Amino acid sequence: MAQLSLQHLDKIYDNNVQAVFDFNMDVKDGELIVLVGPSGCGKSTTLRMVAGLEDISRGKLLLDDRDITQTPAKDRDMAMVFQNYALYGHMTIYENMAFSLTLRKEDVNVIHKKVLAAAEILGLTSQLNKKPAQLSGGQRQRVAMGRSIVRNPKVFLFDEPLSNLDAKLRGATRREILLLHKRLKATMLYVTHDQTEALTLADRIVCMSMGHVQQIGTPLELYDSPNNLFVAGFIGLPPMNFYDVVFQDGTLKGKGFEVELSDEERSILSGHVGKELVLGVRPEDISDDGALPVKVFSNENLGMNTLVHGFMGDNHRITAKLRGWTSYKDGDTIKVRMGRKHFFDKQTTNAIRKGEK
Amino acid sequence: MTQVLDDRQIQMDRMRYVKNTSSSRLCYLAILLNVLYFVSIYKSDMGSWYYQFLIGISIVYNLLFMLVAFLASEGVKNYKTAYSNALIILGAGQILRIFVLPMQAHSAVVKISGTEVPVMGNPQFIFCILMLLGSAACLIGAAVINIRKSKMLAEYESAKAKEAA
Repeated sequence: MAQLSLQHLDKIYDNNVQAVFDFNMDVKDGELIVLVGPSGCGKSTTLRMVAGLEDISRGKLLLDDRDITQTPAKDRDMAMVFQNYALYGHMTIYENMAFSLTLRKEDVNVIHKKVLAAAEILGLTSQLNKKPAQLSGGQRQRVAMGRSIVRNPKVFLFDEPLSNLDAKLRGATRREILLLHKRLKATMLYVTHDQTEALTLADRIVCMSMGHVQQIGTPLELYDSPNNLFVAGFIGLPPMNFYDVVFQDGTLKGKGFEVELSDEERSILSGHVGKELVLGVRPEDISDDGALPVKVFSNENLGMNTLVHGFMGDNHRITAKLRGWTSYKDGDTIKVRMGRKHFFDKQTTNAIRKGEK
Repeated sequence: MTQVLDDRQIQMDRMRYVKNTSSSRLCYLAILLNVLYFVSIYKSDMGSWYYQFLIGISIVYNLLFMLVAFLASEGVKNYKTAYSNALIILGAGQILRIFVLPMQAHSAVVKISGTEVPVMGNPQFIFCILMLLGSAACLIGAAVINIRKSKMLAEYESAKAKEAA
């Protein structure tokens, strides 16, 4: 069992730069939490605070209700997997995986059993006599994971473990991490800037920006009901289209375009008549069977889908992800329909939802 | 009993991934003892007794000894039985060396101001012999351990191969 509680964590560096502001979260036993956000948002700093590699400036960190805020990293019973693998080049894979247990002076037979078991899980049995330089990037990352597994820690921490891998290997290793999580049922904290990793791996995602937590929720919650403009823009690929609009006469009026709303959408915006809003529409929620004219400037066929880029109204960029293979040419005009719409207050950038004023 | 057998099997299985460090460490110790021997042997040089043809051969042999012992240490680390033979030969050589420089120097005398003085006194003679014997013991021990372990490993691997087949 490993429950982790991060309570009002702040990180302030010696030069008074604050990297993390009031981070609050309870991680349940066996949960895989992904911290996602752009570079410099404080996600790695948060992970390093949990690992004990960075001091916690303010707040409390509890592991199974035990305060470990001041506990040294080596006594926290957590294992961290780094982006650069951090393997010892002069040691074999077996020795690398056994190293932490050897330092703990565990019985050699016990070490052997644990290393073989971890190698079996990760499919590394045939590589145990090799040196890290003889392995591919994906295999090296698996060794790094194996080194964590043998320790049987309470919490696994991953700091952008797939960033050094090429796209194909990243996908394969991602699936392996998911399988590993299902097999070990361990509590894991995973840091990435890649939203695909976040959406596919996470039980819950923590989306961060500028040291602040923007939203914590399931992948679907973040995708479907983003709390604010940042989350809406960060989650989803291609990113959401945003337009400055005003809600008037039951429609959304933008510069050079007007969007019709359903009754339900009107009721959501009923308290915002005449206010400046931001309309968000995901490219996948746009279809080419509507009435809103868009002048196409690019048609990217991706196989199952086509990304159509164009201009709407007074030169507002719009990206639509259309199903199938389309062959629109530069200069063509198509008429689009916006499906699911997201509304945001322009001043606060917060989402406007049903019942909120 | 089952536990004992299990542990023994684990130990053999472990040899597939862990190097024979006990043998290689004994080799390093043998090299160290040899170094202690040859840095001390000329210490009690009385007159010009040591300035003879043998001194050159001794120096060259010491260099060769260190090189071969080091290479053999790497070989036995990987359970290569052929290197055990080299270690046994080097070990026997260390014993034979007792009868060359140390014995001769111990029994030789030089005249200093008309007085006969032994070239090598008893304490140094014993020290040199102990270093050479120690070095020989380490080399032969390393060879024996390596032969035993590599045999066990080979048997274990062939049994595993049969099982797999």
